[in-house]
Amino acid sequence: MSTADDIETLASQLSDCAHALHRRILQAMRPPAAPQAQIQALFGREVALRTCANGLYLDAARLAASGLDPARQQVLAVTVRAQQALERIQHIKDVFDFSAELLALGAAIASGKPEHLLRPLENLKHQLATLGHAPP
Amino acid sequence: MRQCSSAALLCCASSCIVLLGGCASSTPQTAAVRDFASLAPKLQSYHELTERYRYTYQREQPFLDAAADAAERQQDQQRQQACDDFVKLQSGLLAYMQALGQLAGDKQYDMEDQVKALASGIRAWPEQGLDDRHVNAFAGLSRLLARSVTAPAQQAALQHLLRDAAPAVQQLLDAMQNLLRLYQRSSENEQAIVLGMLETELPYADPQRQRLLRALAGVLQQEKRKEYHLFGLRSTLARQHLETIAERHQALLAQLPAAPAPQERP
Repeated sequence: MSTADDIETLASQLSDCAHALHRRILQAMRPPAAPQAQIQALFGREVALRTCANGLYLDAARLAASGLDPARQQVLAVTVRAQQALERIQHIKDVFDFSAELLALGAAIASGKPEHLLRPLENLKHQLATLGHAPP
Repeated sequence: MRQCSSAALLCCASSCIVLLGGCASSTPQTAAVRDFASLAPKLQSYHELTERYRYTYQREQPFLDAAADAAERQQDQQRQQACDDFVKLQSGLLAYMQALGQLAGDKQYDMEDQVKALASGIRAWPEQGLDDRHVNAFAGLSRLLARSVTAPAQQAALQHLLRDAAPAVQQLLDAMQNLLRLYQRSSENEQAIVLGMLETELPYADPQRQRLLRALAGVLQQEKRKEYHLFGLRSTLARQHLETIAERHQALLAQLPAAPAPQERP
């Protein structure tokens, strides 16, 4: 897989996560609807994820993006699981925590600095592990 | 005297035709190249979509909050610069296709003009005993002659261009196809940002006190949906156009005779 393909796949993965988050937001808007401030904050995160994704699409388009490092494959796998987890989360508080970690990961990827990647990646993996033990 | 020189000219033309007869006709390959070159206007859709991609931020801006706006503005600068390069890909391919078109036949039109001028010049000599039939025959012959003299050189130049440019053209086409796909994906996120903002804000607008706002936002929502739907169709079409160009180019290369062996030196 070439670097440009890799970056495009990552961007698509982040877009999918944003999509999953959007579905959760719509769910939270159903009666009894969550307060507007919460919805706006969550939507802000969705937009930030999409902005990250579009930044990566731009990188892929420029074919000039430097390789992130082997962690990329790991990130890919984690974002796939994150997207699935987002679908399962029942409580809006968890959606908040979860989307914050996802966003930090997205920002680290978009900044193209592998050294910033490790912490959000570990946090997200930890969260996924916790959710994995919780009943679906 | 004039009649005599015209007859000599005709005679000379005929003998040349006999000599060069074998190379006189347009080969199936030049016809295929002309067909390929005629696809050049289809590159316009790539250009349009690149320009649309360039203005992503301007379309999103009214729907962004302060934090998102700052991030998008930064991205916008990079996108502007990149789009300058993306547009150049198309102009390179366009120049290539036009050059092929000229080598495969456009020059012929220039010659036809010259032949016509010659023919009308002959017509201006009414008392020379040359009737229309002769004039037409002369025009036809000189056209064939002009072609047969230039055809072998053009054919060689054509094959040279096709062969030498093949790897670069393939790369350009690949890159442009990739870019169109990436524009599409980026636009999907743009659509989600624009429509998502309306979708998450509208239900919280007070139906009584903000009736006007709700109505206007509802209309905007419909228009935006239509706009993104149309973009999707244009994007699909542009990708099909590029695919056609890539396939036809591949077919041309497949018909190309093997490269002449390098001349042996004593």
